Amino acid sequence: MAEVIQILILGMALGGVYALMGSGLSLVFGVMRIVNLAHPVLIMAGAYVAYWAARLYGLDPLLTLPIAAIILAATGVILYKLVFEREARSAKYSEMTVLLTFALAMVLEGALGTAFTNTQRVTSPDYATDAFFIGDIFIPKGQLYAGIVSLAIISALALFLKYSRFGYAIRATTQNREAAELLGVNVNFVGLVSFAIGIGLAGAAGSLVSFVFSFFPAKHWEWIAVLMSLVVLGGMGSIFGTVLASFILAVIAAFIGAYFGATWSTLTFFVALFVVLLVRPQGIFGEKPELA
Amino acid sequence: MSGLLEVSNVVAGYGDGPAILDGANLSVQPGKVHCIIGPNGAGKSTLLKTIVGMLKIRQGSVTFKGESLKGKRPDQILRRGICFVPQERALFPKMTVRENLRMGGFSLADKSKLEKRIDEIEERFPILGERRDQHAGTMSGGQQQTLAMARTLILKPEIVMLDEPSLGLAPKIVKEVFSIMRLMADEGITILLVEQNALMGLKHADWGVVLDLGRTLFEGPAAEVLTDPRIQELYLGGKKAA
Repeated sequence: MAEVIQILILGMALGGVYALMGSGLSLVFGVMRIVNLAHPVLIMAGAYVAYWAARLYGLDPLLTLPIAAIILAATGVILYKLVFEREARSAKYSEMTVLLTFALAMVLEGALGTAFTNTQRVTSPDYATDAFFIGDIFIPKGQLYAGIVSLAIISALALFLKYSRFGYAIRATTQNREAAELLGVNVNFVGLVSFAIGIGLAGAAGSLVSFVFSFFPAKHWEWIAVLMSLVVLGGMGSIFGTVLASFILAVIAAFIGAYFGATWSTLTFFVALFVVLLVRPQGIFGEKPELA
Repeated sequence: MSGLLEVSNVVAGYGDGPAILDGANLSVQPGKVHCIIGPNGAGKSTLLKTIVGMLKIRQGSVTFKGESLKGKRPDQILRRGICFVPQERALFPKMTVRENLRMGGFSLADKSKLEKRIDEIEERFPILGERRDQHAGTMSGGQQQTLAMARTLILKPEIVMLDEPSLGLAPKIVKEVFSIMRLMADEGITILLVEQNALMGLKHADWGVVLDLGRTLFEGPAAEVLTDPRIQELYLGGKKAA
């Protein structure tokens, strides 16, 4: 029994981190219909901000998190203006963004590789290798803190979306862009800010990733399928769905990893992506696609 | 006499595609219900979308109280007092009724004024008050239409444009929808109605406008348009209006 609880706790803690990694991707798709394959590489960029802040100035990655979020959000504004804004009204926008963001991911990976090399990095605050013990059960402090911070950020995002005026505008634009525009929402501005928030969340997630996982620029390819499985299972564009899917898949992956080995744990996400697309492509909370 | 809203020789279409409106004219008089009729593809919905800034005016002009609306965004036109309810009702299905009403007053800066107006709307349309916490997407078609029309009242607009409000509704519900429209008109709101069912639309209107192939063919008092032999022949299938 203790073993099951132990695995459950580890899975839940990682689920919190996955939730933050996926929620930015989900937000950007929900509002702008951008399938952002560059999201994981932007998480890597956030991880590098935390890594170098720790290495050069001794800053704790949890303290660097807002800085990484702001730097990445600003990067998001620039990317949106340069890459995405012009074609926003195209009927084939989503399809185009797959190719655009794939290219963007390659470019950013190359830039990060050139700047920081492909050496594996990890930030090592004291708590990253420490744990709480409750009887036979241990809770790694790093994963626990990362999970708690993730949930705090996601809760703040949920409150912002639910109660603020701009949150209303974002939700309205997500559900019916044309209607939102007719009611006075400047949907272009909403798109820009939502994209910046989504990329800012990638930056924040990167700070957490920097001490929970080792990372290097090309590692973002491993994360694409993981993050896609989260947003597809949750329902493309549903942040709540992404959070729920993160916990479900992280816990399943933890159990598979514990009983069948770590290699099989990663397979959980690939299988989930495959099965969901076959059986219920709209995911848990997404809308059923209309027949052409 | 110059109207509240003037559409003069407007040419417009979707993207870079062919012009759907090809010289449309319209003069909207304050406080009246205007019904635009015409066969499929005449450009009726396109005309409303052009007025509200969703489509670019390629040629011609649209003026509201003498001010040109050319090049203005939908949110800018909304702030001038023109509300539009499109065919699909433009609701937010995963927002509650109350949240949808709040979105109706999105451009109001004063939050307390907005909540007060929503309370007024809920008093006038009790069904919306009863279902305030229900997601709009789970309501019936008639209730959704009531919500879409009631939502326009939050801003106390001067003109409300309705694109086929009866579409997909049962006859009994259609009656209710038109009674809401009449209520709005009685309060002095100018109505611009597009209706595929020409007979029904004209019966509820003061003024009729006939559009075909993107041009205004003729217009006049709704009762006269309704009995005009050209309309009988072209748009009402030769039947005599009851």
